[in-house]
Amino acid sequence: MKGLRETFAHDTWVMPYLRKYKGLLILVLFLGFMTFFSGGALMFNSGYLISEAARQPSSIIYIYVPVVLARAFGIARPTFRYIERLTSHNWVLKIVSDFRKKLYQTVERKASAIQRSHQTGDILSILADDIDHIENLYLRTVFPMVIGWLLYLFIVIGVGSLNWVVGLLMLLLLGIIVIVLPLASVATNGVREYRQHQIQHEFYTNLTDEVLGLGDWLISGRYDDFINLQKKPIKQIAQLRKKDHYFQWWRSFFVQFVVLLTTITLLIWAANSFTATKSLANWVAAFALAIFPAVSPFLNMSQGLSEWPVYRRSIERVNQLDRDQPAKVDQNQLEGHFKELKIANVTFKYPDGDRNIVNDISMTIHPGEKVALLGPSGTGKSTFLKLLVGDLIPNDGQILANGKDVSSLQKVRSSLFGILDQQPYLFDTTVMNNVRLGNTNATDDEIKDAIAAVGLKDLIESLPDQYNTEVQETGKRFSGGERQRLSLARILLQDAPIIILDEPTVSLDPITEKKLLDQVFDLLHNKTIIWVTHHLAGIAHVDQVRFLENGHFDMQGTPQELYQQEPRFRQLYDLDRGK
Amino acid sequence: MSRGSEVLIDKRLFNLPGMRRYVIILGILVFLQAIAIIVQARYLSIAIVNLWNLMPIGSIILPTSIFTVAFLCRHLLTVWQNRVLFPFVEKTSGDMRESLMAKIFRLGPAEIDKRGTGNIVTMALEGIDQVQTYLMLVIIKMLDMSITPWLILIYILFIRWEQALFLFIIFPVIILFMVILGLAAQSKADRQYEGYQHLSNHFVDTLRGLSTLKQLGLSKRYANNVYSVSESYRTETMSTLRIALTSTFALDFFTTLSIAVVAVFLGFDLLDGKVMLLPALTILVLAPEYFLPIRNFANDYHATLNGKNAMSAVLDVLHQPEMKQRDELPDFKWNQDSMLTLDHVNFTYPETTQPALKNISVTIKGMQKIGIIGASGSGKSTLINLIGGFLSPDKPDQVAIDGHKLPHLDQAAWQKNFLYIPQNPYLFHATLADNISFYVDNASKQSIEDAAQRAGLTEWIKRLPAGLDTMIGEGARTVSGGQAQRIALARAFLDTDRKVLLFDEPTAHLDIETEAALKKDILPVFSDHLVFFATHRLHWIGEMDYVLVMDHGKLVEQGTPAELAQKNGDYVKLRSEMEASDL
Ligand SMILES: Nc1ncnc2c1ncn2[C@@H]1O[C@H](COP(=O)(O)OP(=O)(O)O)[C@@H](O)[C@H]1O
Ligand SMILES: Nc1ncnc2c1ncn2[C@@H]1O[C@H](COP(=O)(O)OP(=O)(O)O)[C@@H](O)[C@H]1O
Ligand SMILES: [Mg+2]
Ligand SMILES: [Mg+2]
Repeated sequence: MKGLRETFAHDTWVMPYLRKYKGLLILVLFLGFMTFFSGGALMFNSGYLISEAARQPSSIIYIYVPVVLARAFGIARPTFRYIERLTSHNWVLKIVSDFRKKLYQTVERKASAIQRSHQTGDILSILADDIDHIENLYLRTVFPMVIGWLLYLFIVIGVGSLNWVVGLLMLLLLGIIVIVLPLASVATNGVREYRQHQIQHEFYTNLTDEVLGLGDWLISGRYDDFINLQKKPIKQIAQLRKKDHYFQWWRSFFVQFVVLLTTITLLIWAANSFTATKSLANWVAAFALAIFPAVSPFLNMSQGLSEWPVYRRSIERVNQLDRDQPAKVDQNQLEGHFKELKIANVTFKYPDGDRNIVNDISMTIHPGEKVALLGPSGTGKSTFLKLLVGDLIPNDGQILANGKDVSSLQKVRSSLFGILDQQPYLFDTTVMNNVRLGNTNATDDEIKDAIAAVGLKDLIESLPDQYNTEVQETGKRFSGGERQRLSLARILLQDAPIIILDEPTVSLDPITEKKLLDQVFDLLHNKTIIWVTHHLAGIAHVDQVRFLENGHFDMQGTPQELYQQEPRFRQLYDLDRGK
Repeated sequence: MSRGSEVLIDKRLFNLPGMRRYVIILGILVFLQAIAIIVQARYLSIAIVNLWNLMPIGSIILPTSIFTVAFLCRHLLTVWQNRVLFPFVEKTSGDMRESLMAKIFRLGPAEIDKRGTGNIVTMALEGIDQVQTYLMLVIIKMLDMSITPWLILIYILFIRWEQALFLFIIFPVIILFMVILGLAAQSKADRQYEGYQHLSNHFVDTLRGLSTLKQLGLSKRYANNVYSVSESYRTETMSTLRIALTSTFALDFFTTLSIAVVAVFLGFDLLDGKVMLLPALTILVLAPEYFLPIRNFANDYHATLNGKNAMSAVLDVLHQPEMKQRDELPDFKWNQDSMLTLDHVNFTYPETTQPALKNISVTIKGMQKIGIIGASGSGKSTLINLIGGFLSPDKPDQVAIDGHKLPHLDQAAWQKNFLYIPQNPYLFHATLADNISFYVDNASKQSIEDAAQRAGLTEWIKRLPAGLDTMIGEGARTVSGGQAQRIALARAFLDTDRKVLLFDEPTAHLDIETEAALKKDILPVFSDHLVFFATHRLHWIGEMDYVLVMDHGKLVEQGTPAELAQKNGDYVKLRSEMEASDL
C-alpha cells in the first residue's frame, strides 16, 4: 500500500486521465457490471423459471415473465459485453493519444538538435513500451478489478438485505477471492517479479552480447563455452516459471474451493429459510444456479493485480521524465540580418562530468565565414555545437547572436541555424514530404528545385513513384550519401544564415564524401558555415581551421598557413591524401 | 473446426518427442474430469430438487457431499493435468531454447544479421516463453474441447434427447458464424494492416527523428501531429475492432441464448408435464458446461495464436539449413608455403539476382600484405567475408587451401588460423583482460599485459579504475572507436598461433589523428602474417605488398602497388578520384 501511494504521489500519467475521461470510464464500468449481472441473472431467472414451471401452474401466465426475461438476459449479456469491449478499447486508445502527445512533449523539451554519436533508439522504444504497459494496466487490471468489486458489493448487499448473517458470510468468503488473494499475489509476485526481472535482464544482455560477438565466438571455436554461458540463466528462468505456474494453479484451486464453500453456505441457507412454502422453494434453484456465473469475474482478479509490478515500473519511469525539466528563458526576436555570432569566454562542464569540456573559449564568427573544427573524438566538438545553438547553457560566459543570447532565441532558432549531422533522419513518408520539412510553406516547385540543386533530380525522377516515393523506415530506401543529400535539400529550403555541419561524412566512402562536400560548399557558398570534421578531406573549402583539445583551441589558421607552419598539420594532411 | 485447428496448431506440434504419450494420459484425465462435471451437476440438482420438494436439511447432506467431492475432484484434476503436462512442456521449451542457442552458433553472423539481433534475442527469451504458454494451453484445451462437450451431450441424450439434439445442432452453427465473421474481420484487418503498421510505427519514428525536427524548428508544432495521427490510429483500430469482436460476440450470443432457449423449452415441457424437475435442472446446470470448453478456447485465442506464431518462428529457425562439411580441411598451420586459391568464384546474396562477386580468381601464398580497395559497394566486405567463411561461394570446389578443394571456407581448421577485425570490433561485456584473451585459453597475466603494451593500450589502462580488470562493453565503461581497435589488435598480438589477419576498413570511422596514432601500432603486427586489408584510406596502400582492386563485384586489377601505378588503369583512376588536392 505504501508503494502504491509512493507511485501515485507525484503521478501525472494515470490519475489525471482517469479524471479527464470520467464519463466514458463510468460507462465502461457500468457496461462491465451489466455484462456479469446479466450472466448471473440469466441463470437465476432460469432456475426460478423451471422450478415454477415444475409446479405445473394452471396457466402459462405464471411463467410468462421469466420466459421473457430469460430471452432478454440471454441477449443482454453478449450485447453488453460487446459494447463494453468496444467502449473500453476506445477509452484506452483515447488515452494513448494523450499519452503519446504528452510523452513527445516531455522528451522534446530535453532533446538536443545535435545528436550524440551512436545514440541508440533503445530508450525511446522503452518509453513507447511503457505506454503500452499503461494501456494494459487499464484493460487488464483496473477495469476487471473495479468491475469485480462492484459485483462483489452488489452480491453482498443483495444477499445481506435478505439475511444479514449470510450477507456477512458472503462478505468474508468472497472477500478472500476479491481482496485477500489479489493482495497476497501482488506481495508474492512483487518479490519474485523483481528477481525475475533481474534474471531476464541478465539473460537478455548476455545473449545480446553473445549474438553481437558471434563472429568472434565462431572463429574462436569455443562452442562449449558459448553454450555453457547461457545454461545457468536458462535454468534459473525455468525454475522461476515453474514456481510461478505452481503458484497460479494452486491459487486457482483455492479460489474454486472458496466458491465451493460459498455454494454450500447458500444451500444451507436455502434449506433453512426457503423450505417453508412451495413458492419460496422455487428460489432455491435460482440462487444455486446464479452463483457460478456470478463469481466468474472474480476468478482472474488475482492474476490481473499480480501484473501490477510491471506496470508500476512503467508508471514510475514515465513520471520520472517529468522531473528536472530545463528552466524556461524569456524569448526574443532576432532583428535584422545576421551580423555576428560572438562566443565570449564560454566555459562548460556536464553536471556529471569531471572536466571542463569547453574552457574559457572566445571567438567571433562573421557572416560568410567558413570555419572547420577538428579534434579527436570525445574532446567536445559536439558539445561546443550544442552550446552554439542553445541546447546547452554555458556555466560561464555568453554566446550572442547579433548581441542577443542564443538561449533567448530558441523560438526563432530555425531561421538562424541550419544543421546537418552524421545521421540526418528521414521520416517514414515520401521524398516530397521529407524535403518539405525544411520549409512547410514551400511550393512543390521549390522543393523540386532544391532536390535538383543537390543533384538528385535524375535519380528521383527515374523512380516509379518519383517525388512520392516512400523513403521507408529511417530512409533505408536510399544510400547514405543520398540521404545526406536529401537532408541538404531540406537545409536549402530552410535558408538559415548559419549552417552547422557535425561530421556529415563520417559514414561515407571518400568518393561520395568528396562529392558531398563539394556540393555543400558550392550550394552554401554565401552562408556562414561551422563544420566539425573528423579528418582533413575537403579542408581546402574553409578559410579557418581550429583544433579543439582539452577545452581550448590548439592550432588555428587558414589551411594553407597551417600546412606551411605546423608540421603536425602537414603530416596529418599528407596522411589523409594517401602519401 | 478444421480451419480453426489449422490456424492454431502447427502440425510440427505432434512431432515433438513424447507428445503422443502425453496426449493419451491427458486424454484420460480430461475424460475423468468430464465425468466429475456430470456427477457434480447431477448431485447439485438432486440437492436443489430435494429442497424444492420441501424436504428437510438432512436430505441434502448426501447429495451435497457427493457434489463437494465431485467439485473438488474436478478442480484437482485441472491441477493434475497441468502438473502432468508441465514437465513435458518445460523440457520441450528448455530443449528448444538450447537448440536455438546451438543453432545460432552454427548459422553464423551473416544469417543472424539478416534476421536482426534483436529478433533472435527476443525469440530466445520471450518467444520461448510464449511457446511454453502455448503448449500449456493448446494441448489441454484441444483435448477438453474434443472430449468434454460430447460426454455431456451423451449424458443429456439419455435424459432427454430433444435438448441434446438442440445442443448438438447449435454447435456447428456457432462455429460456422464464428468462422464467417472471423474471416470477414481477418480480411478487413489484412487490408488495413499496412496502414496500421504505418500509424503505429509513426510514434517511434517521430521520437527517433526528434533531433531532426528540432533542427528544422518543427518540434513544438509536431506535438499536435503526434496527437492527430494517434487519433486516426484509434479510429482505424476501432473500425477493425468492431468487426473483429463480432466473432466473439457471435459465440457469446449463441451460447448464452442457447442456454436461455433450453431454459424456456424446459419450462414449457415442465408445464406440460413432459419432464420432471430433476432431469430438467440437470440439463440446465450442464448446458453452460457444454459450452465452456469452446468459450475458454476462444478467450485464449490471442495468447494461443501468439504462441503458435512464436513456435512456428522458432521451428523455422531450427530447421534452417546450415553450412555443412565444416571439417573437410585437416588441421594445419598457415606458414610460408601455405597457399589459398580462389578459382573463378562467384557469390550471390540470397534473394538477389546479380552476383556480388563475379569470377574472382586469385592465388595467395605465404605471408603477404594484401590490400583490397574499391568504391563502396564494390564487394570488399563480401570478399573478406567469403575468405572468412561467413559466406559460401555459389559453387563448390572453387576455393582451395594447399590444394584441398573445398566447398566453402567455413572450415574449423581454417578458422583457427585467422582473426577478423572489422570496423567496429565487438567488445564483450567482460573485463578488459578477458576481452583481450578471448581467443586464447589460459593466457597468463604477463602475456596479456605485453600484448596490451604492444597494442598501445598501457597508458589508457593505467588511467582505468581497475586496470586490466575493468569491465567494458555494453552497459559498462564505454570504449572509443580507436581503443576498440587497439583491443582487437592486442588479441592479435596475444594469439601468436593465428597467422592470418582479416581487416575490414578498421579505421574508416576514426578521426585522422587517432588513425595516425593507431597506424603506428598496427604496422608491427603485419610482419610474419598474411594480411587482408580492405580499406578506402589511401595511405595504407603504401604498406601493402599486393593490391586487389574491386569494382562492381569484379576483381578488375591485381598486382604490387608499383606495378599498378605503372599501368594507368582502374587503380590509378580510383586513386585520383579519392585523392584530395594540394594545399
Ligand atoms: N550528456 C552528457 N553528459 C555527460 N557527459 C557527456 C554528455 N555528452 C557528452 N559527454 C562527454 O563529453 C565529452 C565530449 O563529448 P562530445 O562533445 O560528444 O565529443 P565529440 O563530438 O568531440 O566527439 C565526452 O567525453 C563525452 O563522454
Ligand atoms: N546482406 C546482403 N544482402 C544483399 N546484398 C548485399 C548484402 N550485403 C551487401 N550486399 C550488396 O553487395 C554489394 C557489395 O557490398 P560490400 O561487399 O558490402 O561492398 P563494400 O564492402 O566494398 O562497400 C553491394 O552492392 C551491396 O549492396
Ligand atoms: Mg561528436
Ligand atoms: Mg564494406
